[in-house]
Amino acid sequence: MRAVKSVVVRLLARWETLLVLAIIGAGIWSWQLSPFFLQRANLLDLLTPYIFTGLMAFGLAFVVIAGEIDISIIGNMAVSVVCFAQLFAAGVNVWLAALIGLGISTVLGLVNGTLVSVLELPSLAITLGTMAAYGGLAFVVLSGEGVASFPVHYTNIGGGYIAGNQLPIALFLVVGAAVVLGLVLHATRFGRYVYTIGSNREAARFSGIPVTRVRVTVFAISGLMAGIAGVDYVGYFGSARADAGAGSLLDVVTAVVLGGVDIFGGAGSMLGVFLAFVLVAELRNGMNLANIQGDTQDIVIGGLLLAAIVAGNLLRAAQAGRIRVGPLRLGRKEVVGQEAAEAVVSSKLATQNLKGR
Amino acid sequence: MKAALAGRVSPQSLVSAVFRLREIGILLALGVAVVFFAIRATNFMSVSNWQGIAQNVAIVLVVAVGETMVVLTRNIDLSVGSIVGLTAYLSAATFAHHSGSPLFVVALIAIGIGVLCGLVNGVLVAVAKVPSIIATLATLAIFRGIDVKITGGGNITAYQLPDRFLKLASEKPAGLPALAWVAAGVAIVGAATVRWAPWGRDFYAIGSNPEAARFAGIPVGRRVITAFAISGGLAGLGGFMFASRFPTVDAVAAKGFELDVITAVVIGGVNVFGGSGTILGVVLGGLLVAVIQDGFTLLRISEFWRLFFNGFAIVVVVAIDALVTRRLQEALRRRRAEALAARHAEAGA
Repeated sequence: MRAVKSVVVRLLARWETLLVLAIIGAGIWSWQLSPFFLQRANLLDLLTPYIFTGLMAFGLAFVVIAGEIDISIIGNMAVSVVCFAQLFAAGVNVWLAALIGLGISTVLGLVNGTLVSVLELPSLAITLGTMAAYGGLAFVVLSGEGVASFPVHYTNIGGGYIAGNQLPIALFLVVGAAVVLGLVLHATRFGRYVYTIGSNREAARFSGIPVTRVRVTVFAISGLMAGIAGVDYVGYFGSARADAGAGSLLDVVTAVVLGGVDIFGGAGSMLGVFLAFVLVAELRNGMNLANIQGDTQDIVIGGLLLAAIVAGNLLRAAQAGRIRVGPLRLGRKEVVGQEAAEAVVSSKLATQNLKGR
Repeated sequence: MKAALAGRVSPQSLVSAVFRLREIGILLALGVAVVFFAIRATNFMSVSNWQGIAQNVAIVLVVAVGETMVVLTRNIDLSVGSIVGLTAYLSAATFAHHSGSPLFVVALIAIGIGVLCGLVNGVLVAVAKVPSIIATLATLAIFRGIDVKITGGGNITAYQLPDRFLKLASEKPAGLPALAWVAAGVAIVGAATVRWAPWGRDFYAIGSNPEAARFAGIPVGRRVITAFAISGGLAGLGGFMFASRFPTVDAVAAKGFELDVITAVVIGGVNVFGGSGTILGVVLGGLLVAVIQDGFTLLRISEFWRLFFNGFAIVVVVAIDALVTRRLQEALRRRRAEALAARHAEAGA
């Protein structure tokens, strides 16, 4: 009986469970805003316009778990989109052009990774710089105009439907990407390395993990996913422009952080990121149905991002025993945050050592 | 020879020599840019062109002084572009609805709103322990969302604004645009603050080593909140100036402005790891950014190359700064080891 109870408690206490509850809650709220929300067509098409943000979030999750940040992904996606479009306009086969676009975005990710890992530069400043550089480059490649008239067999990837014209094909893309990247993150040695580096880079180096190579790779993954997001983006919108994806960095970062990825590195799950992506898309869909403007929606999403981090900080502090949640006695307030995270790591290491003996 | 040199130069003067070199480096780059554009672009050296540069650099500079204080504490404020946009609209709207309002009062209102926004950022970073990049990414979206909500899709045009407000941008006392005089005042006060005010010095201490600063009894949280509040307040002043320079204000005003500001700060030699940098450097950095922007316009080079250049410059400068700092630290460590060894040898003898 006690075991059952503890399993239930542990399941309920998981971040992913809270996300599922939040998704249900947001669904009820959206349904209150507009009765159209619960129609089958809307539910099936709910994620489609936002899938490119989800794809980028899956890639960014690797970078953040490894303790870094990559805010250049939107610019990166724009570069791959315009290069792809220019090649297509020049008569290259559309699939080959898309493949080259993926290659370009991976290379741009490698540039970030090399600067950050090999030259040991701060990822925040570097990707802030490459964000502007890539954004400018996209406009230089495709000055202001758009490229459209992509063949339908290609645009189906982002905007097509199967099963009686109801099930969006892009849904398979995003679920497939989540599953593959989830396996890479949770079931491979490389994935374990990413967590270890995010928890303690020095310790990872001393235990023989090829730290530099892994850190370059996470940025390459982030770049590749920006490219795949671009392929989906052009498919969905049917046109390529240099300002592709402008303003969606907020959604991507929110999906990652709200998904329970520790912003200081070392923790997080792909399932959480996927659920958070669904939650963000659902909220946007609900607000769209209620005729709330895009920029006003940003207030809600931005608030959600902040709330997610504050909640994570409190949770970590509670786990470290700094805050008593039982009789609701809040402890010293200055211990929330980095120190709390460090305390969690050190206590985990200590218990592991004890178990080892 | 090298050893003799190392013996004579004290560690402090070595560090300050490197930083002086840093400012000389920007000055050199500025000189090269000016000479290049003077040769290539016909009107570049005209008085009116330089007055235009001064107007452009003034707004960036006012905001950059606040951003410098935030970056000194090892944080970053991405939300300044949205604060400029919000306060620019509110300033213009105030004049449009109450054309008799005194300039001074409206400027104070803009600054006040900016300070409020900055306080939100500061509390999020210092109290709620949200990393500044994430906190200000969120508030960038939130402040812009509030701006859009207030404008409701409308805009305010120049003819709705009183002349005395527009004159702020067009008038040129002593040959220098009024906006540039404001910026010069802000830069001087800002430079004096971080150089001499005890709480301004604390910014450097916090950025160099937050833990050590805490142990030294510096109220780290309060200082970080102060830095963000100043950054917000100066962004508010920047918004007020922005509305007089670009009097057609809508909800997308100053979108992406934060990148110009951060480029000026980073090129100006403020270390992104916090703890080092001067306002003088930032002034030169802002001037360099403005000169290049102006030269590109005169040479009819696409606006987007400028965006690319800004980003590229940030990457290159951060890389060079980090490598130089690392070398410097190594040199200092080596010197300390040598001095220790010499003392041991002496004691042994």
